[in-house]
Amino acid sequence: MDRRRVNGPPGGTAPPCYASTLSGKTHPSPKRTRGANEIRKIFLKTGLTPSASGSAYFELETPPTNYSNSLTNRTSALKLTCTVHGPRPLPRSAPFSPQLLLSTRVKFAPFAARQRRSYIPDSGERDLAAHLETALRGVLIGERWPKSGVDIIVTVLEGEEDRPWDALAAGNQNGRTGGWGMMSILSGCITVASAAITDAGIDCVDVVIGGVAAIVRQPAAPPQLVLDPCPSDHEEVIAACVVGYLQSRDEVTETWAKGNVTASSDGKGTTPMGFNALVDQAVEAAVAARRVLVEAIRESTEAKIQSSQAKLPDKLTSV
Amino acid sequence: MAPTAQPTILSPSELSYLHTSLSLNPPIRPDARSPTSFRPLVAETDLLPSTNGSARLCFADGTEAIVGVKGEVERTGGVGKQIGGAGGEDWWVEVTVDMLGQRDDDAMVVFLAQMIHEGLVADGILRARLVINRRWHWRLYIDILLLSPPHTYPLPLLSLTTHLALLSTCLPAPVAGLEKDDDPLFNDDWDAAIPLYPSASHFSKTKANLSAARPPITLLVISVGDNIFFDPSHAELAVADAVVAVTVASSPSSTDNLNLLAVRTIDPPSRLSSSAAEMGQAIEEGAWKPKTGCICRTVWRKRVGMGVMRGGVGEEVLGGLEGLLKKAYGFEGLHSWMILVYRERFGRYQEHQTLRISTVGWKVTSRRVLDMRTEADMVVSQTGGSYRMG
Repeated sequence: MDRRRVNGPPGGTAPPCYASTLSGKTHPSPKRTRGANEIRKIFLKTGLTPSASGSAYFELETPPTNYSNSLTNRTSALKLTCTVHGPRPLPRSAPFSPQLLLSTRVKFAPFAARQRRSYIPDSGERDLAAHLETALRGVLIGERWPKSGVDIIVTVLEGEEDRPWDALAAGNQNGRTGGWGMMSILSGCITVASAAITDAGIDCVDVVIGGVAAIVRQPAAPPQLVLDPCPSDHEEVIAACVVGYLQSRDEVTETWAKGNVTASSDGKGTTPMGFNALVDQAVEAAVAARRVLVEAIRESTEAKIQSSQAKLPDKLTSV
Repeated sequence: MAPTAQPTILSPSELSYLHTSLSLNPPIRPDARSPTSFRPLVAETDLLPSTNGSARLCFADGTEAIVGVKGEVERTGGVGKQIGGAGGEDWWVEVTVDMLGQRDDDAMVVFLAQMIHEGLVADGILRARLVINRRWHWRLYIDILLLSPPHTYPLPLLSLTTHLALLSTCLPAPVAGLEKDDDPLFNDDWDAAIPLYPSASHFSKTKANLSAARPPITLLVISVGDNIFFDPSHAELAVADAVVAVTVASSPSSTDNLNLLAVRTIDPPSRLSSSAAEMGQAIEEGAWKPKTGCICRTVWRKRVGMGVMRGGVGEEVLGGLEGLLKKAYGFEGLHSWMILVYRERFGRYQEHQTLRISTVGWKVTSRRVLDMRTEADMVVSQTGGSYRMG
């Protein structure tokens, strides 16, 4: 007991906590305006980072909102950028590797979500990187680059919120697994990394596309299977699944499903809400996103060809 | 990342032999198991006196893990936060994995802890049980220690050990403060503690709807060619086309089907095998070459179906583990020291025979996970509650 100073109360105090002046009624939580089998519009562009050997930028459209005057109801978007460095020779000290060594890194920018992220990757980010590596290693033809490595770095510029901010403020912390928002981030990571790898000119068996599907439930409604869910749009997400899909080979390199799905093989075939249906819908989402990716790759390739053709005569004349 | 980075020491011709025999119809596994049968295992529970629940499990290949579960009472919600809901929160369950010679931020360790945690919180049953009242909750620390070097992919081992440890976990019984928001008061008699996952007989007095709930387990499934194998050994993993971890749990509502809680693909270690890239020269001799792509969707569906459908492997494993515990509990209640000794008991695990007080020759029949073409002897030696209380 310090007698020279005015001591605080012995039990500790809690700062005052004010009730929100915003009532939930005036600002309804965002609702999904798309159809159940409609994915969000995707913006994808490759070759934006000149210093990297390959790069891509990926953005999901933000749905229009009519209640944007409140900060709490701002809908989230997804913005990712990916750079590919390499293939470059391994350092001399590294042991011999007969194939391309792939290292992936997924990092949220400190300003990516409402809660600030630190610069050191947390377990959720490392887990995403592990998923991304699984998805990509299946498509890279690694034997063509012995003794070399490639680094794939995805930065999440803006991540999706798991739930509306009102609910987030009500004492709910994010789970360790990162919740449902991680699923669509992973799907975006797969697609953007695939575009960047193509931009870098690394040989692949096919482009791998990410797709997400989820079983969601609104209050007083039966569960529904939707493509490309935005977690804050839905009251309750029962299960979600991400796939990394190769369309030309009909193969799946990466699957990540979470949530409570009753098994679909009950002897009577496929149930509409079962696991197989979930994977099929995720594949559908991937097929839909593939068009955008192919278009973006073609665009950048045409631009490259044009610029090289335009440069060629210059070079000849200068020589 | 995810699989052990140790390259396999098998030669290209050995790999080719393995791959061919595994893709035959019917397939031939190196240890003559059927595709769905598991390797024998040795398990014991309640071995750490200072934990709320613990288990130790050994697979026949020598991999061994210990899990300790500890509970702490914690105040729900922090400063400026509202009082938590009835459903509990995911972060109340904390899983850490410790492996010999691995840093704790190693990708493999992170991935394993994440995978096990994902399964445990997926159905929301466990975290709902951690709620004491509106202001207090239990915080559960699950510490997993892998004692052996990670030769094979250790996920099933760790998951099964966690399952057993959670089944044997007891939390002190509250005597006051349950309904109101008071500080809870607990019964200090350990014999009155309530199991976290009560057995059916215990639950007949209380809520019946929770009796079927059991902690989930994660199974490792590989595909080679068109065939699917459960519980792959090290050699089989080296030639796997694809590896998938499937987390299943018995559904609380209906007993006919298992719930699928999580699925994730794992990078097959075959791609890392040292001989994989040397195949360029050897390919004309018919050597096996790891597949570049991944699995077809049809094979994939078959695999998940087998794990989950009625009478499938997942159900068998869950049932087997439960049978193992039930028999032990039937004898001595929760404070039992239980050892399952299989064919290996005259080999590596001989030291356990000194613990044997009374031998009961049980045949754990119809559980392929436990009896691997041998008669399983379950050896139970009584240590009683006094051991537990120290």
